[in-house]
Amino acid sequence: MKMMMGSSFPEEVLEHVFSFIERDKDRNAISTVCQSWYEIERWSRRRVFVGNCYAVSPAILIKRFPDVRCLELKGKPHFADFNLVPEGWGAYVAPWIAAASSAYPWLEEIRLKRMVIPDDSLELISKSFKNFKVLVLSSCEGFSTEGLAAIAANCRNLRELDLRESEVEDLNQSSGHWLSHFPDNYTSLVSLNIACLNSEVSFTALERLVGRCPNLRTLRLNRAVPLDRLAILLHRAPQLVELGTGEASDLRPDVLSNLLGAFSRCKELKSLSGFWDVAPGYLTGVYPICPRLTSLNLSYAATIQSSDLIKLVSQCQNLQKLWVLDYIEDLGLEALAASCKDLRELRVFPSEPFGVEPNVLLTEQGLVSVSEGCPKLHSVLYFCRQMSNDALRTIARNRPNMTRFRLCIIEPRTPDYLTLESLDMGFGAIVEHCNDLRRLSLSGLLTDRVFEYIGTYGKKLEMLSVAFAGDSDLGLHHILSGCENLRKLEIRDCPFGDKALLANAAKLETMRSLWMSSCSVSFGACKLLGQKMPMLNVEVIDERGPPDSRPESCPVEKLYIYRTVSGPRLDMPGFVWTKDEDSALGLS
Amino acid sequence: MELQLGLALPSNPTSKAFDLNYYGIEANSKEVDHVIGPCYTPSYENINDIINIDNNNNNKRSFGQAFENSTRDRVVPRTLPLLLWNNNRPNEEDDPKDLENHSLFAANKNVGDGDGVVGWPPIKSWRKRLCHENQVVRAWNNNLMVENGYVCGGRRASNSMYVKVKMEGVVIARKVDLSQHHSFETLTDTLMDMFRKSCEKNSNNYKLIYQDREGDWLFAQDVPWRTFIRSVQRLKLLKSSG
Repeated sequence: MKMMMGSSFPEEVLEHVFSFIERDKDRNAISTVCQSWYEIERWSRRRVFVGNCYAVSPAILIKRFPDVRCLELKGKPHFADFNLVPEGWGAYVAPWIAAASSAYPWLEEIRLKRMVIPDDSLELISKSFKNFKVLVLSSCEGFSTEGLAAIAANCRNLRELDLRESEVEDLNQSSGHWLSHFPDNYTSLVSLNIACLNSEVSFTALERLVGRCPNLRTLRLNRAVPLDRLAILLHRAPQLVELGTGEASDLRPDVLSNLLGAFSRCKELKSLSGFWDVAPGYLTGVYPICPRLTSLNLSYAATIQSSDLIKLVSQCQNLQKLWVLDYIEDLGLEALAASCKDLRELRVFPSEPFGVEPNVLLTEQGLVSVSEGCPKLHSVLYFCRQMSNDALRTIARNRPNMTRFRLCIIEPRTPDYLTLESLDMGFGAIVEHCNDLRRLSLSGLLTDRVFEYIGTYGKKLEMLSVAFAGDSDLGLHHILSGCENLRKLEIRDCPFGDKALLANAAKLETMRSLWMSSCSVSFGACKLLGQKMPMLNVEVIDERGPPDSRPESCPVEKLYIYRTVSGPRLDMPGFVWTKDEDSALGLS
Repeated sequence: MELQLGLALPSNPTSKAFDLNYYGIEANSKEVDHVIGPCYTPSYENINDIINIDNNNNNKRSFGQAFENSTRDRVVPRTLPLLLWNNNRPNEEDDPKDLENHSLFAANKNVGDGDGVVGWPPIKSWRKRLCHENQVVRAWNNNLMVENGYVCGGRRASNSMYVKVKMEGVVIARKVDLSQHHSFETLTDTLMDMFRKSCEKNSNNYKLIYQDREGDWLFAQDVPWRTFIRSVQRLKLLKSSG
């Protein structure tokens, strides 16, 4: 192949070629070919994903990529979902929105995860970007229905408003009425997810909105929308593909028959969720659409027990994704395995996570059944109370195509219930047989041995979650030295200390982040790491006051280390300590 | 799909087509001090300098007195449920800011949640709220026989509502089924009976406090029963000083 010098191709041609290249990895690669390709690429990059908002600053981003249309940012570490990150830690999106409002007037999409976004920022978004189309706020907080009202009122071209699992403050004045801020001539809505909203929305406004948006495909309602009104909405939007219902605890025959009628007209419906407090009798209304369903989320439906679940899933031959409570029990999972041969993803959540005794007949057997019966199953999240190495080995052998395996045995350090041994061998089998495993969460009784297996076999592993496991620093060393593709590591309550961390310091620069809480890392080691590794921010999160007031060997509460090109952040709260806190060292 | 802005590429840290510094990316080129250890290579030799490790790869693996607990594949007795296991000193205060609580890892040393473990099992707060609400509603529906209650098909899940109870000064905690009670009177009677052997007979000498869903401790008598039952997570009996 004859090599052409970059300068002999007109820029427009290269730009056109580059427009077919979408994956970040590929674009990063072509940007390193030569200077002119770097320049053309950076001017033409439209989609940017920042996995850690503190890894780079808005200024740096804008300087390199002057014309971004789709921005995705992630903020707090994953363990923030479980209340391990104190309030006020950070992840404020306001500076990003402020910078983008002047630098990216053509911005169309903003996707945020675990970030704090105030109403002011929502208003700024609604007024700064004339072609704004997509707003996805996943597990975000800091805003209220006022901010939503601004989005509704000003974003003429909005296609998607998705509030997944965010915490939204309902202000009494505009509660429910923010929806009416969508102007009457606004018709471009394609996707609306308000399932997380606690209070009511104005049904009239909702009905009118749904009625005038012919392209509406996704509608996830919140709990407060009663089932008897759902039929009305479905009549307005028979083209819906994804639906989330509200709650319906009273079974009324007229409502049921209306629902049946409405569902029968929804020929495109493929995904269902919601079902809070649903009287099981209403499930018969869903039967007609079951064969078309590819995605079913019943994980809020605490009123539906095993036999009803079995009847339901047995009719969903095309199901690909199922999220369900452990009421499904082993029997239900057997039925799932028998009926749903296209299943790709299964999540089983605990109905009584804090009970000490099991309240349902769900054991490792259910998961084994599904692993046997569903050849395409590759993504699992499973909460249970007992597990065995045998079961894990069987699952591993059945499903070498597993890519995401998250197992949570509810009681920490639970051994193999058959042999009373650790579960090292079982998880070892998982990493050994599942060569494409990208994400793994461990639980149960585990020694350093399991980490040796993970380090040896987990070559494609990108994210690892560890809790109450291991015996010594050797465990951490195995992970850091063995897992070549590791990007995110989160650890809690493990006896890992300074040594493995310091010995593998350089590894940390190749990862997005490391979280360690209730381990044995000393503040001295953190300071050392921070001083020696300028490309890392080493944040000690400790609410007990200055680490200096305790001996240097005293373990820190929590530790969050991440690579960054923008240096220490300027918005750290009082309980975050870095190397610069020590007056003797000062700023390095 | 990460943005790699001039950061060291994972597999070959030295090969670069051009110097990214030229383009104004703030890459810091300071050398990493070898005190820490060389760039990561997956072998034990590096860690040898810092940890004394037996490299023979046989079954015995001990390194340093500090790590004498290193074990593999030992057969262990069934672990006690974490929620009852209390390794703390008998009169330990549940004060998360207590500086004496800073010792090495141990499952029960997680502060902020009293005797429970913060953030475990790993489910999101709103799911936890949902679970709790459902527990309460089920317990209620069983006891009050609500007329218009929903119909549950199939086998019913357990309707009990056990919460942990600790009495100040008593090491062993207990559990009480709140679904069996409808008033503070019956509850305190039951509790005093439970702890009969370990405490003074007169229930007036104890005050009942409870931890709500937000993690705050409140006096049980200050709220109506309905409020209490909907948010109680665990109970404590405090000796009331005169």
